[in-house]
Amino acid sequence: MTERQKFPIPSAEREDVEEALGLLWYQRELGVTDGATLRGALHAAGSPEGFDRLVRHGFVREESDHVLLTSSGDELARDVTRRLRLAERLLTDVLSLDRSAVDPNACVLEHTISPEVTESICTLLGHPVECPHGHTIPPGECCGRKDGRLSPIVVPLSRLAVGESGRVAYLQLKDHPELHRLLALGVIPGAPVHLHQTFPAFVVEVGESQLALESSIAARIFVRRAEESKIS
Amino acid sequence: MSEARSPSDRKTLILLGNPNVGKSVLFGRITGKYATVSNYPGTTVEVSSGVSWLAGEAWRVVDTPGVNSLYPSSEDERVTRDFLLKDRPEVVLNVLDSKNLARGLMTTLELVEFGIPFVVALNLADEALDRGIVVDAAALSRCLGVPVVQTVATTGEGMADLKRAVERATVATVSGSATPEIRRSLEILDPLFAKGFPGTRAVQLALLAGDDTVLTWVGAGSAPGIGEDVLYKAGQTERSRFARPPRQILFEGREGRVREICAEVVTVRGKLAPRISQRLGVWALRPWPGFLIAGIVLFAVYQFVGVFGAGTAVNFLEGTVFGKWITPGATWVVEKVLPWEFFRDILVGPYGVIRMAFSYAFALILPIVATFFIAFGLLEDSGYLPRLSVLLDRVFRLMGLNGRAVLPMILGLGCDTMATMTTRILDTKKERIIVTLLLALTVPCSAQLAVILGMAAGLSPKVLGVWLFVLVGTTLATGWAASKILPGARSTFLMEIPPIRRPLFRNIWMKMQVRLAWYLKEVVPLFVYGTLALFFMDRWGLLKMAERGFAPVVQSWLGLPAQATEAFLIGFLRRDYGAAGLYSIQKAGFLDFRQVTVSLVLITLFMPCVAQWLMMFKERGWKGALTITVAVLVVALGIAGVLNRLLLLFPFLVS
Repeated sequence: MTERQKFPIPSAEREDVEEALGLLWYQRELGVTDGATLRGALHAAGSPEGFDRLVRHGFVREESDHVLLTSSGDELARDVTRRLRLAERLLTDVLSLDRSAVDPNACVLEHTISPEVTESICTLLGHPVECPHGHTIPPGECCGRKDGRLSPIVVPLSRLAVGESGRVAYLQLKDHPELHRLLALGVIPGAPVHLHQTFPAFVVEVGESQLALESSIAARIFVRRAEESKIS
Repeated sequence: MSEARSPSDRKTLILLGNPNVGKSVLFGRITGKYATVSNYPGTTVEVSSGVSWLAGEAWRVVDTPGVNSLYPSSEDERVTRDFLLKDRPEVVLNVLDSKNLARGLMTTLELVEFGIPFVVALNLADEALDRGIVVDAAALSRCLGVPVVQTVATTGEGMADLKRAVERATVATVSGSATPEIRRSLEILDPLFAKGFPGTRAVQLALLAGDDTVLTWVGAGSAPGIGEDVLYKAGQTERSRFARPPRQILFEGREGRVREICAEVVTVRGKLAPRISQRLGVWALRPWPGFLIAGIVLFAVYQFVGVFGAGTAVNFLEGTVFGKWITPGATWVVEKVLPWEFFRDILVGPYGVIRMAFSYAFALILPIVATFFIAFGLLEDSGYLPRLSVLLDRVFRLMGLNGRAVLPMILGLGCDTMATMTTRILDTKKERIIVTLLLALTVPCSAQLAVILGMAAGLSPKVLGVWLFVLVGTTLATGWAASKILPGARSTFLMEIPPIRRPLFRNIWMKMQVRLAWYLKEVVPLFVYGTLALFFMDRWGLLKMAERGFAPVVQSWLGLPAQATEAFLIGFLRRDYGAAGLYSIQKAGFLDFRQVTVSLVLITLFMPCVAQWLMMFKERGWKGALTITVAVLVVALGIAGVLNRLLLLFPFLVS
């Protein structure tokens, strides 16, 4: 069952509703739940009647000054955020679009990809947990399963085979501030990597430097596999 | 070197670059005087300086710790950044690794913002050629707008050109690659800064990047009436304008510019077949044959330090030089010149400064530390040590540490005092405390090790086996327990592995001289104080009293003869001295196999020497040092006592 059947919305309004819910989700991540601010934010985003529409559909309710997402609103907001952020990852990592082209295209994609496609993208990208801007991607059902029907193109370094090569796709830095050192050591998107060994510690060649690191760091470096090793 | 101008008037040249780019060797080439050089990331913590004749006058030349970024994320990087802001050197010599140009240029583009004239040395040109990488120096010079010279510091190639280039150093013309949004923020910050202060851009960018440590040095650069707090707030306000972290935007901007430059100046002709040194470097990292290589290396080090240094060289110096000439000679002179017995005893009595302090410092320890410094220098410069860190990372994780802690522990096998000082390279306080504790408890120093191996030599190999087993077990158990008790988390293991390089003997030799000079200056006085303390304790009968006081513990709990007490007490002055005391008791036939085993374990675990003890106070503070001391005493006596009981029950373990 898709969320479209679960929460019937006139299709003309659907994009606007999703857009508005995505914005509320993001604001809540930032810790903003204040009603007046959120109305203002929706207004500024070009959707002056957006807030009332969300209330009408039963996606949000207001308690004193705070805006709360209802359970259906929460589910849809979470889903649209997941689609948007996965789309950003897809455009950045696999299609290697320029950053300026990623955002507008992802905004269009998020409304058109179906749940099945969302799962496939998520699996293909190795169940990423952060979008290119560093925001958390809400996990989906597939993330728990980690099924292997589709061989991911972008995998954490820790899942690469010894002797395999690739290029750094992105680093997941948010929950590990120490890892900013990686950037300075030359582990930057686009840098060629080659995995030498995984025990006792991971040893990788990045560009012309050789680095030793432990698995918790290797799990946060995402690598786009080299062409010849993609089909496995 | 004659000091024609006072050092403070001198122009300053600082060397700046990533770790392991050959900066320190280059420094040695420029100044002719060598400072501590290191392949191990993080050990060049101290800043070394020398003097060189450049552009017709004497310059002060300073070697800074290797940095990966001038937006500091480590103490090393902060030291270097502060140097640029505070000391404002006349010229910076930016040392780059030719084979890894992109990474070096990231720092170069940060350096540009400081507005200091600089010169680029494209070092390691030989290693780059081995890998088929060619860098066009002239093109790079055009891109950056500063002189660029190709060098091979190890052979001295390009040094003359480099020295001449210092005269032509200019402020770079390459733009710092700020995006329009960054530039707008910089314009808003501009009025807060004094006009014409050359470091302004760097400070502003640091504020935008969220690096508030820069505020400490901002004083001279801010506009009249603008304080740290105003700048701090302004930085915060500007940062909040960006949807993405400005640090990231700046990084991407520089990265893009570096890519453009590299595309223009770097040609890759495909790798040549890997050299034998590269192969060796890969092998040494794998469990097989890595551990075999480690075993061979440690055996070679032991042969050189333990057998040659602590055996042959010590025998000659102690037995012949001091035993036959210096001590008898000094005794003769003193007895002729000094009529007072008290002063005679202070100099040449059994606890006299010459008989004890000098002969121990120069005859017993000097040859050992000298050979150790040479062996350690070879390991350091060859790039081998970080490989040992990789091999042992897993084991060290059991103790709440990571592979980085291998270096101080290995150093401890040479001299625990120095090793205690190098715990500074560890990331967290918790790790520093654990390593300091283990150094005090279980790691024997080279001098002590030599005597211990001598004692065990004539006995069943089981004695040495039990000793090693107890020591390794105690290390793991204590480290594990300490990691559970102490608050805080282990830091993650992330380390650069430099390539295996052939060490230059000239560098090793000069480095040993610098370290020996340190030893003489710092350690010898400690020997003198320690000996004086013992002298007065002996004179006032305190030594005998202590022996009587401790006899019950020694005799009943440890099952050792009463004479052993003095050995343990004296072991506090020097670890090996205590061991030597036991050696003589053993030679006199007072110890059986069980007692030898117990005393070997106890003398290893027991109190560190006084020098190490003082270093513990200096590095860990009195609270930390006292806690460690108590822990060491309890664990050492506990384990030795239990071992004694076990061996009484199962004597076959050592016979």
